[in-house]
Amino acid sequence: MTNHWIDIRNSDCILIMGSNAAENHPISMKWVGKAMDKGTTLISVDPRFTRTSSKADIYAPLRSGTDIAFLGGMMNYILSNDKYHKEYAANYTNASFIVGSKFDFKDGLFSGYDPKTKKYDKSFWAFEKDENGVPKRDLTFKDPRCVFQLMKKHYSRYTPKTVSAITGTSEAELKKVYETYAKTGAVDKTGTIMYAMGWTQHTVGVQNIRMMAMIQLMLGNMGRPGGGVNALRGESNVQGSTDHCLLFHIWPGYLGTPNASLVTLADYNAKNTPKTNDPLSANWWQNKPKYMASFLKAMFGEAATKENDFGYSWMPKVDVGTTYTWLDIFDEMYKGNFKGFFAWGQNPACSGANSNKTRQALAKLDWMVNVNIFDNETASFWKGPGMKPGEIKTEVFFLPCYTSVEKEGSITNSGRWMQWRYAAAKPPRGPKSDGDIMVELFEKVRSLYESDGKFTDPIKNLRWDYVKDGKYDPHAIAKLINGYFEQDVTIKDKSFKKGTLVPSFAFLLDDGSTSSGNWLYCNSYTEKGNMAARREKKDPTGMGLYPEWSWCWPVNRRIIYNRASVDLNGKPWSPNKNILEYKDGKWIGDVPDGGWPPMANKEKTKRPFIMKPDGVGSVFGPGRVDGPFPEHYEPLECPVPKNLMSSQRINPVAPVYGTEADAHFSCDPRFPFVGTTYRVTEHWQTGILTRWQPWLLELQPQLFVEMSNELGKLKGINNGDMCKVSSARGEVEAVAIVTGRFKPFKVQGTTVHQIGLPWCFGWVHPKDGGDSANLLTPSTGDPNTRIPETKAFMVNVDKIGKRRA
Amino acid sequence: MAGKFFFIDTTRCTACRGCQTACKQYKKHGVTKTKQYGTYQNPPDLDGNTFRLVRFMEHPAKTNSMVWYFFTEACRHCLKPPCKKKADQILKDAIIVKDYGAVLYTKKTKDLEKSFKAIKQACPWSIPTWSKEEDQIVKCNMCYDRVEAGLPTACSKACPTGALNFGEEADMKKLAKERLAAAKKKFGGKGEILDLEDVRALYLIIDEQKKYRPVA
Amino acid sequence: MALTRREFLKWSGTAGAAAAAMCLGFDLRPVTSYAAELEILKAKETTTICPYCAVGCGIICHTKKSGKLLNTEGDPDHPINEGALCAKGAALYQMTVNKNRKRFPLYRAPESDEWEEIEWEEAIEKIAEKIKETRDATFTEKNAKGQVVNRTTGIAHVGSAALDNEECWLLQGIMRALGLVYIEHQARI
Repeated sequence: MTNHWIDIRNSDCILIMGSNAAENHPISMKWVGKAMDKGTTLISVDPRFTRTSSKADIYAPLRSGTDIAFLGGMMNYILSNDKYHKEYAANYTNASFIVGSKFDFKDGLFSGYDPKTKKYDKSFWAFEKDENGVPKRDLTFKDPRCVFQLMKKHYSRYTPKTVSAITGTSEAELKKVYETYAKTGAVDKTGTIMYAMGWTQHTVGVQNIRMMAMIQLMLGNMGRPGGGVNALRGESNVQGSTDHCLLFHIWPGYLGTPNASLVTLADYNAKNTPKTNDPLSANWWQNKPKYMASFLKAMFGEAATKENDFGYSWMPKVDVGTTYTWLDIFDEMYKGNFKGFFAWGQNPACSGANSNKTRQALAKLDWMVNVNIFDNETASFWKGPGMKPGEIKTEVFFLPCYTSVEKEGSITNSGRWMQWRYAAAKPPRGPKSDGDIMVELFEKVRSLYESDGKFTDPIKNLRWDYVKDGKYDPHAIAKLINGYFEQDVTIKDKSFKKGTLVPSFAFLLDDGSTSSGNWLYCNSYTEKGNMAARREKKDPTGMGLYPEWSWCWPVNRRIIYNRASVDLNGKPWSPNKNILEYKDGKWIGDVPDGGWPPMANKEKTKRPFIMKPDGVGSVFGPGRVDGPFPEHYEPLECPVPKNLMSSQRINPVAPVYGTEADAHFSCDPRFPFVGTTYRVTEHWQTGILTRWQPWLLELQPQLFVEMSNELGKLKGINNGDMCKVSSARGEVEAVAIVTGRFKPFKVQGTTVHQIGLPWCFGWVHPKDGGDSANLLTPSTGDPNTRIPETKAFMVNVDKIGKRRA
Repeated sequence: MAGKFFFIDTTRCTACRGCQTACKQYKKHGVTKTKQYGTYQNPPDLDGNTFRLVRFMEHPAKTNSMVWYFFTEACRHCLKPPCKKKADQILKDAIIVKDYGAVLYTKKTKDLEKSFKAIKQACPWSIPTWSKEEDQIVKCNMCYDRVEAGLPTACSKACPTGALNFGEEADMKKLAKERLAAAKKKFGGKGEILDLEDVRALYLIIDEQKKYRPVA
Repeated sequence: MALTRREFLKWSGTAGAAAAAMCLGFDLRPVTSYAAELEILKAKETTTICPYCAVGCGIICHTKKSGKLLNTEGDPDHPINEGALCAKGAALYQMTVNKNRKRFPLYRAPESDEWEEIEWEEAIEKIAEKIKETRDATFTEKNAKGQVVNRTTGIAHVGSAALDNEECWLLQGIMRALGLVYIEHQARI
């Protein structure tokens, strides 16, 4: 989230779309409710009327996979009716930038597309630069080649009639949503978007989110209280696990994983450190070399020296142009290309798209290590439905671990708040903490490598001074993540002693004199103490920032891009939206997004979006692989033969996998209905933890499939009947919930039915609970992230049994 | 101790079932084997393991096409409990009422097994339940042990949206009045507090009662 | 209106409900065990954060001196949830106190149709040997283009968004030190 949970109460209009917050982030509704008490309007846009919709002032249905059409229509409305915040857009976004003459868009394709490689050459979308190498701008928005005009032209195609024919939302419903939300373009109003997997799990996932970010920028909602782009992250620490980069493509702190062509650290820094010629751009990523060096010092400690490039070559490199994502892992695994596999606190046999492919893939491994609290479908895959244990060679190790209340450490919530939690209960005899398992395992591996083995440098040199007597110590690691001065240092007239904690990332250096496991977390555990453990309830601004409760990144800035919340003179755009103000030469309120004076001081200021090389928010996004403007494409499997917007039916650069387990069909009479997956309040993800808890299983005991009354009638299915739901990839049995909360969609003049299932069940337990809905979903995903398209695919549903007694 | 009241603003409930579960957790209840029978509501009714149940009822509507009402149901802790009136006819003070209003079923109710059906029927909402495990009649006991220690009930503490409230009579009635006015403003004049004079669990609804829970 | 935890603490260690019940002279014998209610009042309180969604609600664990978990409920001092919890958070006790928790390492041999219990030491040793064996067999110093990669593509890792920050960092460090590039988790799905 750019903002945070409590800040939702500061909003004038809350759009919950691509999210079912009441069921998946239930306590967030406390803050939605507080906003509504003040007159805030809640809008719920969802294919299905959910528990969130039940509280909404406005509910609008839309067919899964058509969010860009919906929001494209909203942008059209905003631009056509002058609802945008002109001064904000002109000064704080790239709406004024002039786009180079090579940029074009025709019939669903942006210029620069190579149909052979199915990739775009992004250089076609570059801005026109002046003689200083700074993008040219037209602050009046009149130049036909400026982003504003190109965007207006692009979204003029998303007329209410066209959008309605794509999404199945009535024109009246569209108008209502657009009018209501666009009101937050007024200077004294802010609107917020709460979104989640309903937007990310599509072949157009990133562009879904970009569309809303563009709307928020044009309405002047970014950086302001009650505004922002709020991703409701899933797991309790998915924010932290993302920040610490348990992902192939980034190293802790979002440092791009070096590819093999970048031989030295200097090569990496030269290629990956963004540059700008705009003296007003802070271009904060210019500090990347400091963060890289500090990260490597955290990895390899004293062994990392300038001479050996701080151990840069000891770190594994990825190949240029190759992806190593989740979908790639299970594709390679299915092809027999992995020997070993760790499923550590995760249940891929149920959570990954295309469960059959995943489960068959696991059977090709030589060995697997599964760390978890309970038995699960991944650990026990070899005795699952359809499996022949006698033919499966995989050696499996199941290691039982502690629950969260039995160990100490921190987790980071969606609002970027790093919160410390303590060991409360004494664990039972038997399980170990994950941390201790990691320490013991690595120490054992390292001891085996003492005598021989391939390329032992990184193993022998992995920094280990935070392990005491073979025991995992969360405080020691938290301190290393913050970072130390590895020698006596003087910076900005301040002297720091070797071995002391770095106060913030502003003090990190690129010469090996500092370490920091994750520069973003530098400031979290300092000489002042463990900031994440703070429990002060002061709220000096009265806007719900709670600056001394826990700690958030970066440097405890509660609302990021907050320098966009003030005008060029440093005054809040509106006095009722004050979380930061420049008064008497200093900033008061939240931690400012850089201490430079406001933009009226042309000598000393910096533009507010400090992480972007141009210093402004990207309305035009030249860095995405599928285009600088979001464009509606149908999902890989879709119910209609053509895309109303263009001849490009699906995202032209979406990755599609090709094994026999990856079958996919559109407009196939065998799979005539749109299927989607979602969650329920009472279970968590695959249910691997919650299905074993009787109090929760009692609430939601078995897999169900929700469908409209009309579809129930069409297929002769009554509420409570046993059904089979099938797709090109697999099938599950589920109890029918026939409900008015799903309604058929009128799409391109035809009726399209949609059904949905939660994916919280698995065959391990309970025996009569049903299996994973991911048996149905496809292996395709977003081209930028490869997050699987588990929200829109094609299925069939048939009755197989009568209503259960 | 001054009288305690529940106030339930159904317009704010999101059916997160924190209340239903917090009760079970605090009391360390067992569970009933349930099945999916075409609704999110489970168990189907109050039982020996479920003293608070969130009911789900959905109906077509003019605005937003649907309404989905959630009704967190438990004993109303009546001011003049009809279950006690019936029970006292057979065995006095098997059911007692605390000075702050909690209606409690003591262990003595195990001797009321033969009259259980009549006692259950005496309750307008059929709240009394026979527990095989405890061998007595059971229901919500207003977390009397917590309340007497100055704590809120487990269920009301869990509620995130201010749907389920618990506290002093004066405070709860004031809140009910405020929320009733707000509901009427928001829902086109609709809104009523059920059984205002008779119970210690005041429910604010904005539609016919039968749309929230089955009415006898 | 919930009392704050500080007010709750004022009551800890006092006779509380037990005394109140006694003075009334009734055999109340509530549905829950009489002993439990006393223990909550005298229990140790530890703050934690819910392990489910990313709202990050505060939870208080009540434990006996022995470390036995007695009760879990919302932390009224936490500014985000103010003591409230949804069904999952409210049930947290049952994730920890659960007879279905796996207690000891399990091993499934090739072609076997059952788990066998093994000792931790054996499990760690066997896994470490597998890691070394596989890493050594699949380690690539240079890729097809002759560029230095120093990695193994023979081992993959997924997990976990449920781990603590410090565990996450350590795990990414270990996996990268071993040369893995296929490192992913819930954030990718």
